[in-house]
Amino acid sequence: MPKTRSVVQTRLGAGARVGDAGEIPPASPLSAPFYPRAQSYDDMFSADGSPRAHYAALHARMSTLSGAELAERQRTLEQTFLLQGITFTVYGASDAVERIIPTDLFPRIIPAAEWVLIETGLTQRLRALNMFLADIYGDQKIIADGLVPRDLVLGAPSYRREMHGVYVPHNSYVNVSGADLIRGEDGAFFVLEDNLRVPSGVSYMLANRDAAKRTFPEIFRDAAVRPVERYPDLLLATLKSLAPEWRPDPQVVVLTPGIYNSAYFEHAYLARLMGAPLVEGRDLVVHDNIVHMRTTTGLRQVDVIYRRVDDDFIDPLTFRRDSGLGAAGLFNAYRAGNVVIANAPGTGVADDKAVYAYVPDIIHYYLDEDPILPNVKTFLCREPAQLDHVLGNLDKLVVKAVGESGGYGMLIGPHASAAEREDFAARLKADPANYIAQPTIQLSTAPCLIEGAIETRHVDLRPFVLAGREIAVAPGALTRVALRRGSLVVNSSQGGGSKDTWVLAQAEPPS
Amino acid sequence: MMLARVADSLYWIGRYIERAEHHCRLADVMLTAALDQNDAALEVARRSAWLEADAAEPWSEESAPSAAHGLVLDRQRQASIVSSLSRARENARQVRDHITTETWERLNLVYLRVISPNVERAFARSPAAFLQAIIADLHLFKGAVDATMSHGEGWRFLLLGVYLERAQLLARLLNVCFGERSEATPLDDPMTQMLVLRMACALEPYLRVYTAEIEPRSLLEFLLFDEEFPRSIRFSTQRMEDHLTLLSRPTGSNDRSRPERLAARLSGRLQFADMDETLAPGALLASVAHECSAIHDAIYETYVRYPLEQRLPV
Repeated sequence: MPKTRSVVQTRLGAGARVGDAGEIPPASPLSAPFYPRAQSYDDMFSADGSPRAHYAALHARMSTLSGAELAERQRTLEQTFLLQGITFTVYGASDAVERIIPTDLFPRIIPAAEWVLIETGLTQRLRALNMFLADIYGDQKIIADGLVPRDLVLGAPSYRREMHGVYVPHNSYVNVSGADLIRGEDGAFFVLEDNLRVPSGVSYMLANRDAAKRTFPEIFRDAAVRPVERYPDLLLATLKSLAPEWRPDPQVVVLTPGIYNSAYFEHAYLARLMGAPLVEGRDLVVHDNIVHMRTTTGLRQVDVIYRRVDDDFIDPLTFRRDSGLGAAGLFNAYRAGNVVIANAPGTGVADDKAVYAYVPDIIHYYLDEDPILPNVKTFLCREPAQLDHVLGNLDKLVVKAVGESGGYGMLIGPHASAAEREDFAARLKADPANYIAQPTIQLSTAPCLIEGAIETRHVDLRPFVLAGREIAVAPGALTRVALRRGSLVVNSSQGGGSKDTWVLAQAEPPS
Repeated sequence: MMLARVADSLYWIGRYIERAEHHCRLADVMLTAALDQNDAALEVARRSAWLEADAAEPWSEESAPSAAHGLVLDRQRQASIVSSLSRARENARQVRDHITTETWERLNLVYLRVISPNVERAFARSPAAFLQAIIADLHLFKGAVDATMSHGEGWRFLLLGVYLERAQLLARLLNVCFGERSEATPLDDPMTQMLVLRMACALEPYLRVYTAEIEPRSLLEFLLFDEEFPRSIRFSTQRMEDHLTLLSRPTGSNDRSRPERLAARLSGRLQFADMDETLAPGALLASVAHECSAIHDAIYETYVRYPLEQRLPV
């Protein structure tokens, strides 16, 4: 795409008020050949190379700062994060290394109109998924009606038969979720994953906002960005709405696996901002189906547990016996209605990769509405016709094992060798029900500061949805960035970073 | 009301911070004593910086600079400043939701200073400046604790740790100077006495009370019984008593074993003791150390590791 590139450079020259690309001073970070635009959608520039209206102010500001100034701001920002202890910890044999999550200087901007779509789309989706969970852990009508295969749901490893018939307040199984959204090539948002178990990242949404405000104060003030700072009290209100009415001042706690967990910073951060105790399994005692925590003055009853521990580990009596992270007897207390666990155990079945393919049907079935946010096209290898299609197009598709996550058991067709594809084809034929396939999607791109120059990197979007008595989408999101050039992997464990996400309150000015 | 585990961590933050600060001063005096060729003071510093947990007694053959270096930067050693600060910070991380951001950042900063890859170079360049900077940071930490944390239960547990550790450290220092084996470290030289006062951060306050006439007897009296000096044993035990009395009272604990009773007894004893009666300071110092560890056990028994059956709802 050499033609496109030159157009972009010229436009940037204009932004920097320099006649044409050749005259840009070498110190400007914008002089680098930085926008190798593939077919993917770019957040800042429209297809003709001009900055989009809602990015105009930021674009102008970027053009006036030198590489050195930008690098200086980046250093200040990283120093702030290190001091605040916003870190991942990697423990070695004798010492611990703490790393900050790389955070990009430039905010990502989402105009109001697009956000409405995201907000209504995610609300609709979560309503339907909560109804789906209530159904499959209750009467199982959707299975009886033949819409979702019985073995697909009941056979999923994340299906918890212990949850069958358990009362869940407001039928709200998923109280906190963080769906991963991506833009297709035309810029429209898709849902890639629902993340209904214990999604993390919301603390970075809050910390990034804090940093971005200080980095670009003028632009922030003029842009009318919707505040994310109320997330902790929204979360607390959501959790309190789950407590029974006869407990007027419910005790909410955050359950963490402890300081060795990579998301510990977030657990402590949320507990602090909510004013709720941060407990570990060893702080909890279950007696007579009532959950207590050990305090300095004795035992105190706990009403709502916002747990950041996976299903498997919350109660050694019910789930994994070797778990020391939960409290023995917790699940029985939950079943007796004496404590609320949020998210409810067993929500994982609704974000199972195979069940994902049925979500549009699930929305139709329970709400009689068309999905507002589309799914990524998904082929279920359990269906013979779809398996044939997958086997015939392995070089174009991403194949994922249903039960695994975090990039394991996965084949990225276009990047794999012929031998790897053959190997995977054999596995597919041996156990087709265990696999799904999706087309390889070029994530959209956004400008990032990479070693003093501004380059494009692929990004996704993780908004956070709270559901108690009501459903609320926090007006902000975590934008995850694949920091390696051309990479599509945004996971923080694999070289991903993040950036602040500005949701605008007003419709953008006419361009 | 707070989690028992949280109270435990706050208490230990206080203890580790106090220990790190005291050991900074010991290391500093070791280096000064080496310059002055004052072997007695060096020996006092070495002996009182030794913890039972570190098996080998380190004062055998080590030179002063290497002893000071070990006390500051040896991660294998329980008594070292880097160990204490790492533990304090580890505990703070566990109770991040109970300490203020100002407090946390102060502690995190001094921790990052001692684990930085350049720490060896920074210490070698100017050990005194390095130690002074850490002491100043720890004072800032304590200031932030006082100025930004609510003066409630958590704050009391943290200060309880500070004062209990302080009383124990002072008892150990004085025991080296006046206890059973004190003939190895004679305090006959005014220079040595001055250095001992500096180890306790007491030189200037002492001079204001007793003027520059430094005598072992006045030194002992000042560090044991002074009512106003914040690093005397009496002052520390009085504070322990205050904090323990004001902590919320748990139900169902055994009254006789209550920590506030033990603290009040010790503090009363120090309040009414007289220098003329203190014929054998060794015995008094040993009993201070013993009482302090009894108070520590009682705090655990009452607030942290109490038996569940006593506290279940009836």
